[in-house]
This record gives sequence, structure tokens and C-alpha cells, in this order.
Amino acid sequence: MTDNEEALVLLIEDEAQIRRFLRAALGAHGYRLVESTTGEDGLVQAATRLPDLVIVDLGLPDLDGVDVIRKLREWASVPIIVLSARGQERDKITALDAGADDYVSKPFGVGELLARMRVALRHASSAKEPDQPTFTVGDLKVDLAHRKVFTGDKEVHLTPIEFKLLTTLVRYAGKVLTHRQLLKEVWGPPYADQAHYLRVYMAQLRRKLEADPARPRYFLTEPGVGYRLASE
Amino acid sequence: MSSHVSPLPADWAGYGLAVMVVSLCTAVSWAIHSHLELSNIIMVYLLGVVGVSAWTSRGPSLLASVLSVLAFDFFFVPPYLSFTVLDSQYLITFAVMLVVALVISTLADRIRRQAEAARAAQVSAETERLRNALLSSVSHDLRTPLASITGSASSLLESGEHLDAVTRRELLQAIHEEADRLNRLVQDLLEMTRLESGAVIVRREWHPIEELVGAALGRLGKRLGARPVLTRIPADLPLVPLDGVLIEQLLINLIDNALKYTPETSPIEIAAFGDDDGVMVEVADRGPGLPPGDERRVFDKLYRGQAKAGRGSGLGLAICRGIVEAHGGRIWAENRSEGGVAFRFTLPVKETPPSIPPGDD
Repeated sequence: MTDNEEALVLLIEDEAQIRRFLRAALGAHGYRLVESTTGEDGLVQAATRLPDLVIVDLGLPDLDGVDVIRKLREWASVPIIVLSARGQERDKITALDAGADDYVSKPFGVGELLARMRVALRHASSAKEPDQPTFTVGDLKVDLAHRKVFTGDKEVHLTPIEFKLLTTLVRYAGKVLTHRQLLKEVWGPPYADQAHYLRVYMAQLRRKLEADPARPRYFLTEPGVGYRLASE
Repeated sequence: MSSHVSPLPADWAGYGLAVMVVSLCTAVSWAIHSHLELSNIIMVYLLGVVGVSAWTSRGPSLLASVLSVLAFDFFFVPPYLSFTVLDSQYLITFAVMLVVALVISTLADRIRRQAEAARAAQVSAETERLRNALLSSVSHDLRTPLASITGSASSLLESGEHLDAVTRRELLQAIHEEADRLNRLVQDLLEMTRLESGAVIVRREWHPIEELVGAALGRLGKRLGARPVLTRIPADLPLVPLDGVLIEQLLINLIDNALKYTPETSPIEIAAFGDDDGVMVEVADRGPGLPPGDERRVFDKLYRGQAKAGRGSGLGLAICRGIVEAHGGRIWAENRSEGGVAFRFTLPVKETPPSIPPGDD
């Protein structure tokens, strides 16, 4: 991993064993690490050390992890990744809607966390640069400048809403998006609760762009949370 | 008997029944008293008391006993239609009749209580047996991976420098795999507990079945390996109101079950069908099938078949049944005539599917 250029990571986690293995794993991949065991201290560290990425556990002893995210988001745009338990889908949605960029469910493998971190850091750095005119993953190619979509060499016709949904996913490629976030972005805030619109259009995109829509390679579902466009 | 009626209405119904039965005995005796000895009329009343005692609780039986004596005196002992008694030997008749009636009602009550206690003991013994079986199975299942994790980790810690790279990697692999197995077991136990305690809230939203099948296959990921998976889901299948997280779990459990009990290259087929009542989803394999007669038992807790790879928690299919029933659906298994087994479940659709914004092309 060379693309993280020794990025500074702030880890807010009260469990000593989790901090221990993350210290070893992140260190081995060239990240520098600042550790914090409480939400209050984490917020102070974030303000003084100005990390490139924050990893926050949702179950902290003092503050709710979601409150930490809200307070951080009042002044910082630093990417935030949440650690949470499986089965806490509501908490994940709350954290994502509060401004977290992504999540991993405990227990998780280091590979999964590193992949999420790479995507989050890439989005943070590309926010300062002009948008790329094309997006490619596997056989799928989206030409944003000419509004054209290809699978392999074949051009695929999309309806305006399908295209808008696709470009929204492309803009955040690799990152999870909640149903609310996608609905607001594509249909507008009054439709934020109409998750079935999204599911129907997602099914249409898969039918047009996936080789097997029942085994999607690009348009991935995060059950109970939202969707993710594969980026690797 | 009276135990399936709630307490207060049962009491009133019991007393009502006592009055009714005594009235009926009186009417019957009155109709035929010209043909009967007085002693036989007493028998009619005692029969009534036995009936009331058998069907109600102690209070109504006592009432029936007292009412019988009074009615007998009033209607059948001279002077008729009066409580006055001319012949004092009838006082002995009344006393004996009352005592017999009371003894009958007391005995009947005692028998009923004993029967209820025996039934309760049987139910609790069954619960206890299942709990013990679950406990011993769970502690075995928890200890096995823990033992290999502890063993592998301590080997690495204590003699890691004497082991070659391949062995070290094998031990690490074992730790990783066993921790994964432990995780799945704990998830199953938590899920089963949540389903049984009624703590599961079914959050229904309109979903395409195809998306959940895709999510389940995606989550199984590596465990699927090179296994051929054939999906047949019609594009026009209607949306279904369901809890996406729960139904994804259900599909994962069914597919995982097929993976465990069939050879590695054997295909898994997933299909969905729609009709007026809802949808039916099928996860079918080409494995050895179920032993005849086990089609129902497979959904019981702790049922385990002859898995070729590793032992499951014995809870996977019980969880499936819990999830389907929480949705108001049905799940069953059938051996396929061509070989293998098909697990099928239904999800009812009672409401009209929501409207979708008009086509935008």
C-alpha cells in the first residue's frame, strides 16, 4: 500500500484488544495511528491532531458514537469509518445519515477495513480535484461527459432516472449510501422514505448492466442499510 | 377441562352450570317421579353433582350439592312444594345425600388438580429436556472451536520459533477458521433466542426477491467457492412486503444448508414463483435428500443430518422456520423425485403493491 502516504488515523475505541490488533495491522500498512479510548478525548484529539481519517466505535463508554460523529461533522469533513456489531442496522443508518462515510461490522477482517479506508481516503482527496470524466469497474464503463454507458463494447440505453441513480452511485463509488441518501439525491427530499422506488430502479439497472442480476458484481446490496457500487 | 377458560368467566359459567344441571335433574325427576322410588330420584341428583364436579371447579360443585338437597326436599319430599319435613327420617336422607355429594365434588376436584399438575410436569419436563440438550450441544459446539483456537495460539506463542513457515500458517489458518465458526454459532444462538423470546421486530418494506437472493449469495461469497448456482426469478415477480435483513438471513441459512449436505460440485437451484396469495421461494439441491419421514423434523432445534463438512449449530433451519412464521408464511421440505431436496417457503402478500413513479423514458 503506497497510496496512503503515511496517512494519520485517529482510532476512537475503548476495547484494548481491538486497539491492539488495529495498531499492528494499520502500522504494517504504513498508517500512523493516534488512539483514544473515549468520545470526549477523541473529539479533542481530532481537533488538535487533525487526522486524515477517523475510525470510531459505536459503543463507547461516555458518548454515543453517533454523537461523536455529529460533533465532528460540525467542523470537520475528515472521512469517518464506523465500527459496529452485526444486527445493529438501525445504528449504522443513523451513523451514516449523521455523516459517517462507511462502516465495518464486528467481527471484521483487516482486509475489509483497509478496503473501506482506501475508498474513504480516495474520496477525501479527489474532492479537491475536478471529477474524472469516465468511471470504469470490470466490464462497466460510464462516460460521464458524454452521458454514455457501456458493458464491454456494447452501449446500453438508460432512462434519465436510471442514469441519475447510476451517476450518483459512481460519484460515491466504493462507499455505502443509505436508502435516504440515494432517494434524496435522485428523487429529491420529499421521496426520502420511498425505498421501494429505489429498489425497483436498482433492479432495472442490474437487469441492464449486470451479467446475472441475481448475482450482482457491481450494484451491491447492504441489507437494511443501502447500496454500494463496487469500485475494485 | 375448565383450565382453558379464563378464571372469572369460568367461575360464573360454573355456577350457572350448577344451577342449570340441578334444574334439569329436577325437571327430569318431576317428569318421571310417579314411576320412581325416592331413592332413585336421589341418584338422579347425585349424577348431576358428579357431572358438575367433573366439568367445573370446587365452588360450583358445592353449590350443586346444596341445591340438590334443597330441590329434592322442596319438590319430592312430602309435603310437596315446601321445605317443611314431616317425617324426620328424611333429615338423615338429606344429611347423607349432602355428605355423598360433597365427597364426590371434593374427590373430583382433587383428581382434576392432580391431572393438571401431571400435565404441567410433563410440559416442564419436555422443556427441561430440550433445554438440557441445547445446553450440552451448545457447550460442546462452543468448546470445540475454542479448544482449537487456544491450542493453535499457544503453540504459536510457546514454540513458534521452532515451527516452519507452513506449519505456522496452518495454525493461523485454523485460528481464523475456528473463530469464524464460533462467530456463526454465536449469531445463530442470538438469533434463535431473539426469535423465541418474540424480541424480533419484523420491519416490512416492499422488496424484489431477486435483490435478497443476490445479497445472500454475495454474503456467502467465498463459502460458495466454485459451486454452480442456478437462479430462476421471473423479472415480473411482484414486490413483497418483508424484512430484508431477516429474509436475507433465511436465504443464507438455506443455501448454507445445501452447501453443507451436498458434494462440492453439486449445483444449487434458487427459484421464485408468484401467485395471487404471494410468492413462493425454493432453494433446491441435488444431494442425497432427506431420510424419509424427516421432512418435518429438519426444522426442529438441534436436528442435524450427516453433514460432510463440519458440524453446524443445529439451529439454522429452526431459525428459518422462525423467520418465515414471523412473516405469516410457511416453510417445508420435500425430497425431489429426480434426487436431492427442495426447501420451499411462502411469503404472503395481502396489501396492494405500492405504486411506482411513472416510466421516465
